[in-house]
Amino acid sequence: MKWIPTCRETTKLASRAMDERLPFADRMAMRLHLAICENCTRFNRQLQEMRRLFRVETAADDDAPGLAPEARQRIATEVHKKLGS
Amino acid sequence: MNMLDARTWLADHGDYLFRVARRQLHSDELAEDAVQETLLAAIEAQARYAGDASPRTWLTGILKHKIVDLIRRQMREAEIPRDEDGEEAIDSLFKQDGHWAEPLRPWGNPQTEAELSQLRRVLDECADRLKPVMAQVFSLREVAGMETEEICKELNITSTNCWVLLHRARLFMRQCLELNGFSKAGAA
Repeated sequence: MKWIPTCRETTKLASRAMDERLPFADRMAMRLHLAICENCTRFNRQLQEMRRLFRVETAADDDAPGLAPEARQRIATEVHKKLGS
Repeated sequence: MNMLDARTWLADHGDYLFRVARRQLHSDELAEDAVQETLLAAIEAQARYAGDASPRTWLTGILKHKIVDLIRRQMREAEIPRDEDGEEAIDSLFKQDGHWAEPLRPWGNPQTEAELSQLRRVLDECADRLKPVMAQVFSLREVAGMETEEICKELNITSTNCWVLLHRARLFMRQCLELNGFSKAGAA
């Protein structure tokens, strides 16, 4: 990798940094690029924002659809079979 | 009182388990399978339930394993996207010289519960549009919060493959969110 990575390369580094600690050289390269690039700084911030929104526990009070009636019926039948055996 | 009355599980927790599974599997059918397998496994494991977790927490723990099992099974059938696949879609986001093709628009700063729930809906819809395996790897990481290393090991893919999938998923997701209302109001 060159001294300062391109935007495309920086998105790769920023993404990987969401998953593990980058090696020192990569960390520095990314920092250098972010210092001069508004778009990538925004990209990096949005990755974190996306994670924050996803991680909020939403499933419980969600108004997302639940089990469809047919599926519920099918599962109920299997559960009864299992309990009966 | 028997805390673990298997006959009430479906009525009490079925919808909850389905929603949790649906957000990670991105398919109604697979999410239904996950609920069914969880309840059947729970009936078998009833004797080992220690009673220190609520039934819902206990069932959700079993569900997590079932979700990974289902993804693993699906990966055996569907090809893992190869490195070249999807590279053209990424090409369109950047210029030849590696700069962004279009400037990134700032995202709004949602405050109210209604705004947040609207954004969550967009998030889930965008994630549903990713290619199946990509969507599932992405969700194990971002929704379920599994470590990348653990995901690679569970699904038996290399860490490089994992990073490529996650990087692409994030680029697509960001693009999809921007196009579907995230950049509407205010600045972030």
